[in-house]
Amino acid sequence: MTYYTCIKIDEEYLFSNVRPNQVVDSYIVIDYMTSAPPFEVVIAGGQRMPPIEIDDLTKRYGDLAANDAVTFDIESGEIFGYLGPNGAGKTTTIRLLLGLIKPTAGTAHVLGANIRNRRALTEAKANIGYLPDTLGFEERLTGNQILDYFARMRGDERREELLDLFRPPLEKPVETYSSGNKRMLGIVQAFMHDPDLVIMDEPTAGLDPLKQDRLHQFLETERNAGTTIFLSSHVLSEVQRICDRVGIIRAGKLAALENVENLLTRSGKDVWVRLDDPVEDARFRTDDMIDVEVTDATIQFTYTGDVKTLLAHLVQFEVADVDIGDPQLDDIFKHYYGDEGGTENAPATGIEEDTTAEAE
Amino acid sequence: MTAILRLESRKRIRSSVVLVVVFALLSALYFSMFPSIEEDIEALMEGFPDFFFDLFGIEALHTIEGFIAAEIYSFFWVVLVGIYFSYVGAGLIAGDIRGRKMDLTLSNPVSRESVVLQKVAGLWVPLVVLNVGVAVIVYVGALVIGEHINPVAITMVHLLSVPYLLVCATIGLVASVVLDRARSARATALSLVFVLWLLDGVSQLDPEFEWAGVLSPSRYYDETAILVREEYAYFDAVILVGAFLVLLGVATVVFTRRDI
Repeated sequence: MTYYTCIKIDEEYLFSNVRPNQVVDSYIVIDYMTSAPPFEVVIAGGQRMPPIEIDDLTKRYGDLAANDAVTFDIESGEIFGYLGPNGAGKTTTIRLLLGLIKPTAGTAHVLGANIRNRRALTEAKANIGYLPDTLGFEERLTGNQILDYFARMRGDERREELLDLFRPPLEKPVETYSSGNKRMLGIVQAFMHDPDLVIMDEPTAGLDPLKQDRLHQFLETERNAGTTIFLSSHVLSEVQRICDRVGIIRAGKLAALENVENLLTRSGKDVWVRLDDPVEDARFRTDDMIDVEVTDATIQFTYTGDVKTLLAHLVQFEVADVDIGDPQLDDIFKHYYGDEGGTENAPATGIEEDTTAEAE
Repeated sequence: MTAILRLESRKRIRSSVVLVVVFALLSALYFSMFPSIEEDIEALMEGFPDFFFDLFGIEALHTIEGFIAAEIYSFFWVVLVGIYFSYVGAGLIAGDIRGRKMDLTLSNPVSRESVVLQKVAGLWVPLVVLNVGVAVIVYVGALVIGEHINPVAITMVHLLSVPYLLVCATIGLVASVVLDRARSARATALSLVFVLWLLDGVSQLDPEFEWAGVLSPSRYYDETAILVREEYAYFDAVILVGAFLVLLGVATVVFTRRDI
């Protein structure tokens, strides 16, 4: 095989020993000149490729579409939350991205590797960490032996550092582990080779609240250090707290793709007002208020307009107390599920048919 | 990239040692019986119908070679060890997929081909432990009761059984990549190995039906011929190696194409 001595990015020679089609620091080598050293390598438009590009990805089991033309990108250095109820198709997307199952149509690129190209995907995995929803460890081995096993395949330069944060009982066989300890061992193996991309399926399942907080903090630190994190969750507060962007999947289809902040802005503010005396409803209510609930002198509603306008409106009344806050993603979630289906029983049927998909 | 090979090898140690102990106990039993029944063996043989000897390929039962071939190799080695290998082979893939171990294994930069090959390569442990262990037990056991068996014949009876056992293992492996449950893969593989052995034995009873056993792996491994007549069928061994490679190829191709 011919190796080329260096790669030129932004007028600087940065990498040596590259070859065509290789992905180098998220750039893909597409052409090269061999006329005179130092050899120049042309990179794809000088553009950094997103760590994950999903394009019309579809997986069918008979008539059932576990993933139906799912399309989105995950940007470098973000925490992306993939949100949906159990059985919506989150795990299917993740397993497609890892090449465990084959797409029926469409494709995706993970760290530049097409998931339909087994060889390229296998190579890319050296730089990917994966925490599955169900952790199938070799039960008779101890935690240490399991980590040794994975270390032989992809390295463990950050093992000790991670074991300071997450402390499974390493001397004991995994069959004696609690689900929280298994999850911690899973987190250590997912990050110990210092991957550029980490894919986590329900990462906090089985962790106690303290460990969940520790994981959330750790993920933010990793994100700030440049690692891209793709996590699936049905826990809305978790996604709300740590994710930069969120994709909501419902019955195999991507229902929304938003910045968490936009999602919160677009869905308005939760407002709670207590007045000194009850007030006439028609006088208080404006067009920007929805879901208004009045109990005596206390009024609760979702405000979809500008907060300044709301404040200007409120000062006309004798306000005893007021609370304006972001809505729970839970409410937004319901909003998406309610809208998309069109009918009231849509969410229920959606979840039922998805449960069969999860059984695959 | 030998992490999987190491792990698989390690997982095979315990059962291999247990099987050697079983063979040691069986051999002790038979070797202690041999001197007392050596004289009466003709009378004993008359009590059995002829097809019994044809079925197991038994001959020259009055010699230590014939006796060992019949008592230890005809049944315990060919059938039980064959079934053990098919059982292990059947557990290599299906169990890992169902238990979600395969998800974690394949999250490493390792190809599916490599996973299959390393798992099969891990069978070196039972192959070496059993073949060396049982060969030594049989040779020493014969010496202890004052008999002598040609060490070359013992070596060959084990060496030529390696391709046979590998074919049994890959029958299990194919079941393991095709079927979803380890339990059904194991049941299928060990029944298949047993039925094929039976078919080989029964078909030899009547020359007209001898062709029926041509697909049986045991047709290409004749322990009695090796021990009693010192005939070493190298070409048959080559056929078995070929069958092993074909089955391994089929299993690998199926595994690389299927959903996990």
